[in-house]
Amino acid sequence: MIMELETWLKQATRHLSSDSTAQVRIEIREHYESARESAMTTGATDCEADRLAVAALGNAKTANRQYRRVLLTSDEAGLLREANWEARAVCSRPWLKWMFLAIPLVALAAACALFLTGSTAVARVLLIGGIGMGILCAAPFLPIYTQSRARVFRPVKWVVLTGMLVLAFGADALKWSWLLSSCLWPMAWIEWTRISIRRKLPVAKWPKQLYL
Amino acid sequence: MNFRGTLPTLILEALEQEPSHGYRIAQRIKQRSEGVLDFKEGTLYPALHKLENDGLVESYEGVEKGRSRRYYRITKSGRGMLVKDRAEWRQLSRAVTLILEEA
Repeated sequence: MIMELETWLKQATRHLSSDSTAQVRIEIREHYESARESAMTTGATDCEADRLAVAALGNAKTANRQYRRVLLTSDEAGLLREANWEARAVCSRPWLKWMFLAIPLVALAAACALFLTGSTAVARVLLIGGIGMGILCAAPFLPIYTQSRARVFRPVKWVVLTGMLVLAFGADALKWSWLLSSCLWPMAWIEWTRISIRRKLPVAKWPKQLYL
Repeated sequence: MNFRGTLPTLILEALEQEPSHGYRIAQRIKQRSEGVLDFKEGTLYPALHKLENDGLVESYEGVEKGRSRRYYRITKSGRGMLVKDRAEWRQLSRAVTLILEEA
């Protein structure tokens, strides 16, 4: 009957991260042992007790759906790991941090200078690049580590990014929508995954990137 | 019978009496409802995790019969939520009873 419990656990922990899987396995095994002992005190045989304990757990697929709503999935844990790795990589190289901060500023300054000299086409490209770099690369260094600041920053980020795309494509935005949607798909996926992680992790455990 | 959406409230109600582990919470709900509320026990833990993420319950390691168990206890915000849920439930139940008795 342990085989049946194993099958149940495999289905219930499908697509969960390794930490979440370990947690589910421990709590369900504890529950199973208690249910089994309780059934045996009422006179059930070993086999009957095992069967009753697994049956009481219900449908593993339903449990899996519910676990995936509250515990981190493997994709979400992967995204957090990658983001932590990026943060560590940047923090361990101070020059990289200054480069991420300096490039958007230099691009914006150059764009202003070029606008003044009349080279509007190059200035526009630099402006778009500067805004994009600023919002994506420099944001992790801004003091956004409270929920209220994050609530302000996130809409600003999307407004700026939309403005950037409008500036880049102008009236042709619809014509290039196929390119835009395929380029923005990874960003949308990351944002969606972050929303899901925010719901699952208590605020005290949020890493910096979840505020952005 | 399984009333959707009431499980978190029933868990909070069970934990208001005393801290407990998952199996005992499930048994308490079944016993107190005289077997009417018979939910599948595999869905109890996702509900407990949700309550924990929302700060309504907190968990800690305890020992029962020499075995390590994860215990849950209700927090101050959990008690507040329970008071609110009870009031809402009474209101809803009174309204439904009024309608059904009229028919």
